[in-house]
Amino acid sequence: MSDSEPLATDDAASADVATRSDSAPEPVSSNGRLLSWVSTVDHKKIGILYICTAVFFLAIGGLEALLIRVQLLFPNNTFLSPDLFNQMFTMHGTTMVFLVGMPVLVGFQNYFVPLMIGARDVAFPRLNAMSYWLLPFGGILLYFSFMTGQAPDAGWFSYAPLSTKPYNLMPAQDYWIIGLICLGVGSVAASINIFVTVLQCRAPGMSLQRVPLFVWMSLMTAILTILALPALNSALAMLLIDRLLGAAFFEPARGGSAVLWQHYFWVFGHPEVYILILPAFGMISEVIPVFSRKPIYGYAFVAGSSAVIVLLSYGVWAHHMFAVGLGMGADMFFAVGTLLIALPTGLKVFNWTATMWGGSIRLTTAMMFAVAFLLEFVIGGLTGVMFAAVPIDWQLTDTYFVVGHFHYVLIGGTVFGLFSATYYWFPKMTGRMLSERLGKWQLWLWVFGLNATFLSQHVLGVMGMPRRVYTYADNPGWMALNAFAGAGAVAMAAGTLVMLLNIWVSLRRGEKAGDNPWEGFTLEWATSSPPPPENFAVIPEVSSRRPVWDLDHPDAADGQREQTPADSGWRPDKSITSIWAFVASEAVFFLLLLVAYVVFNTDLVGEITSASVLDVPRTALFSVALLGSSFTLWRAEALLKVGKLSEFRLWLALTIVLGAIFIGGQAIEYYGLISSEVTISDNLFTATFFTVTGFHGLHVIVGLIALGVVFVLAAKQDRHVLHGTTLKAIGIYWHFVDVVWIFVFCIIYLGFMQ
Amino acid sequence: MIELISDRALWNWWSPAWFVAAVVAVLYGRYPGWTSLSKSLWLIAGLSVLVFAFVSPLGVLADGFLFSAHMIQHLLLLLVVPLCLVLSLPPSSAEPAFSGTVDEGSLRKMMRRVMKNPIAGWSVGLGAMWFWHVPAFCNAATENYMISVVRTVTFLAAGLLFWWPIYSPRKQARLPASHAVVYLFSACLGCTLLGIYITFTTITVCPAFASPEERLAVMIALHDAGMTSSVDQQLGGLLMWVPPCSLYVAAIVSVLCRWYAVGEPGEAGLAVTRTAEVR
Ligand code: HEM
Ligand SMILES: [Cu+2]
Repeated sequence: MSDSEPLATDDAASADVATRSDSAPEPVSSNGRLLSWVSTVDHKKIGILYICTAVFFLAIGGLEALLIRVQLLFPNNTFLSPDLFNQMFTMHGTTMVFLVGMPVLVGFQNYFVPLMIGARDVAFPRLNAMSYWLLPFGGILLYFSFMTGQAPDAGWFSYAPLSTKPYNLMPAQDYWIIGLICLGVGSVAASINIFVTVLQCRAPGMSLQRVPLFVWMSLMTAILTILALPALNSALAMLLIDRLLGAAFFEPARGGSAVLWQHYFWVFGHPEVYILILPAFGMISEVIPVFSRKPIYGYAFVAGSSAVIVLLSYGVWAHHMFAVGLGMGADMFFAVGTLLIALPTGLKVFNWTATMWGGSIRLTTAMMFAVAFLLEFVIGGLTGVMFAAVPIDWQLTDTYFVVGHFHYVLIGGTVFGLFSATYYWFPKMTGRMLSERLGKWQLWLWVFGLNATFLSQHVLGVMGMPRRVYTYADNPGWMALNAFAGAGAVAMAAGTLVMLLNIWVSLRRGEKAGDNPWEGFTLEWATSSPPPPENFAVIPEVSSRRPVWDLDHPDAADGQREQTPADSGWRPDKSITSIWAFVASEAVFFLLLLVAYVVFNTDLVGEITSASVLDVPRTALFSVALLGSSFTLWRAEALLKVGKLSEFRLWLALTIVLGAIFIGGQAIEYYGLISSEVTISDNLFTATFFTVTGFHGLHVIVGLIALGVVFVLAAKQDRHVLHGTTLKAIGIYWHFVDVVWIFVFCIIYLGFMQ
Repeated sequence: MIELISDRALWNWWSPAWFVAAVVAVLYGRYPGWTSLSKSLWLIAGLSVLVFAFVSPLGVLADGFLFSAHMIQHLLLLLVVPLCLVLSLPPSSAEPAFSGTVDEGSLRKMMRRVMKNPIAGWSVGLGAMWFWHVPAFCNAATENYMISVVRTVTFLAAGLLFWWPIYSPRKQARLPASHAVVYLFSACLGCTLLGIYITFTTITVCPAFASPEERLAVMIALHDAGMTSSVDQQLGGLLMWVPPCSLYVAAIVSVLCRWYAVGEPGEAGLAVTRTAEVR
């Protein structure tokens, strides 16, 4: 499976070349073609790279799943050792979430968001390329762990203390952490890009209330990612510090808290499940209206309720932790929150159904996958709601019932949404149609496979079969159900092969698609298939939610039927918006580090505490320098605005000096502490202290470098720096770093909140 | 439950809240531009909640007995009452504060500035929430009547300022939708943090509640039912966290409805001028 991938990529490229220079295809050396892919900054090519990489890892993750199924085929099977079994389910989960699910969705967003909003490219094409390349990099790091003799084996959520050094001596866990940090950074960068693209690059006339729902969902997903990934990153950073530097954040034996890891992981983890499902909601919100030949029913509800999901999803993480004993009150509140979030999720099913109601439905493969999505997702949603009742969760948690639940939503939801989108958009991406006949094969194989595998697992879960145990005793019915589940897995693998075959055949001799084979409504159908590098020759006028429909049916245009809020024409500045998004993300990161500080230092007793080792007046002095630098930078900005260049340079230099003084002060402080043998591994105070101030110092240094670059460029009279918003953007970052320090100083040095 | 309602000691019929409510009602009644029924319903709702917060057993228990009752009272005063009052203002009522020429009094000018600036409303709203839960201040307000009056006044005033940028009767004074969502969402984050802290910390946030000096009969009953002071604080923290956030999310929904509605005059144009102001 894996080696058919590069071929498919190449074929997409050749199809690309063939359609554009139809008459006389210029011979392109394969070397040059490879280079054109590796060095591309075109959002469409990057989108395809994301998707192909995801398919490659899908093959690997799928293989791991099949090995798990083989092991569980018989009771007391010894096909996989217990150790290997642990590695398989860990790598399967990690791969599917971080290397398949997120990348493939980001890939589709990359390809289609700019097209659907009538843009030439994403807001930051180079950043886009960097985000992509972090994906193979992180993936290779993760899989490199196999070379060390053992893959990570603590589960996809790596619960502490199992993931800490005393229980996990092998370096595999470190690879897991570092790989995930890479992937996390890449995801945040990609999301900032999508976020700014949607806000900034929309075609004239497309108000935010008119964007296609896939674009809206991408925006929501981007916000979720920007604010949720840093929670994981902070937890990963602390775990890595535990493992490599000997701290004990998550080691209960040394005073740490394993439950804190669970909190941090799920503060990320629950939004993560919505990161995986919202784009799929967007996909079927495009497919169902087009194949029902009706506008979506209740656009505002579908869009608005997703915004509510984004907000609520940060408040329900503890429903993954009902079994740890948070206390009755907390359990109750989180149960209610979970029920609440099921409302905006579930009610949308009615919107999609109502869209089909009375429409002239075309049951293409894309549409059938969308309908299958509705049916299967409802099952998964219902089992989710069951868990919201705490006693039921106590009974079912850590059984195969949970595995059944999330596979119904992830496969029935995310994967079916993706398949639907694949059949819908493949003609646009390649200029060729996929075979409907093979598509139906794929559909039925997957529908059978999904239900066979995961319905059996629901039953097994109710019977008490625990997840993540490498084998089971010969209980009545268990073997039959597991064998059935195995058959389902084989069917899904076969379905995937059918899809790859379909793609392969279509790329060679698929029917030519034309610009708009499905009579779609949105802007991507207004350009050629595949689109030229610059996307559009002319962008049609946008005055409703379905610009291409309006174009094709001027007498029945949407604008005559229903008014939508007009576009004010205003677009935010790119750099400023991206910096604000970045700052929001970093704020979450620091917030969680500070929360850890408060958690571990309230009532901390011992020789080394903030009161006993920190020199508060000295640090206060250095803090004044840092805060002063915010003032000087503000002055510098004002002077630049009125064009007083030499004074501007002076104040900028002063800013850099003040920042450097602060860093110097921190160096003195660290030197003093370390030379009196106060190090990060001493106790929880030193661990949290060095982590928080260390990361803050790092941010100051990054800011200093950026200011230094600005200083040099300004000296060279660089136009961008002197007239653009660069300085203002860096200023926002710099002020943010200072604000963080105010909190750090109050909490760590002055002992607030302890 | 019955005990809770029938126990005479649990009702504070002579609370000055009646007086305040009456004064506000009279002031409203005298205002000329004062007509619509729905507006007066909001007013009645707001004043009833205000009276309820002090006269009912909630008010009595909040006065040094139950931390969680205090928390409910606090939320009613900071969030619900001001929200109702802001919603009850007729559109014309905000004019005097905003029209007027350059030579107006400086106090009024300052007021205008403050009410126009969302950061002020946000910080005051959140600030009041955090400030009165610093153990020393929380204690002082529980033990000293005058300070508790100050606290009530700051709650009400901060609440009015907080809701102003979202529901100001003058449409032009409202935040554009995107800013309003950020405003409300970050406020939710603010009370989430405080709520989490109160729920999970080992510190007693308001020691006055941990050892109420004179015990009411209900208190003993409640204690026997498992309402120890640590459970009380945990419940208080959760109340600080979930209900306000739910209210903010509801407000966000209403903002989104406004945003999707067509023909909202000036909304789009406002967004432009506002951001022009910001930069
Ligand atoms: C309809 C609303 C939903 C509700 C009420 C819900 C509720 C829950 C609950 C309470 C759990 C914890 C079960 C336990 O471990 O004891 C859970 C697990 C899970 N849910 Fe959902 N869920 C919903 C939708 C979704 C969606 C849409 C997705 C992803 C697309 C999803 C993915 C997951 C995953 C991956 C897990 C398991 C994590 C693990 O333990 O490895 N859920 N869900
Ligand atoms: Cu969840």
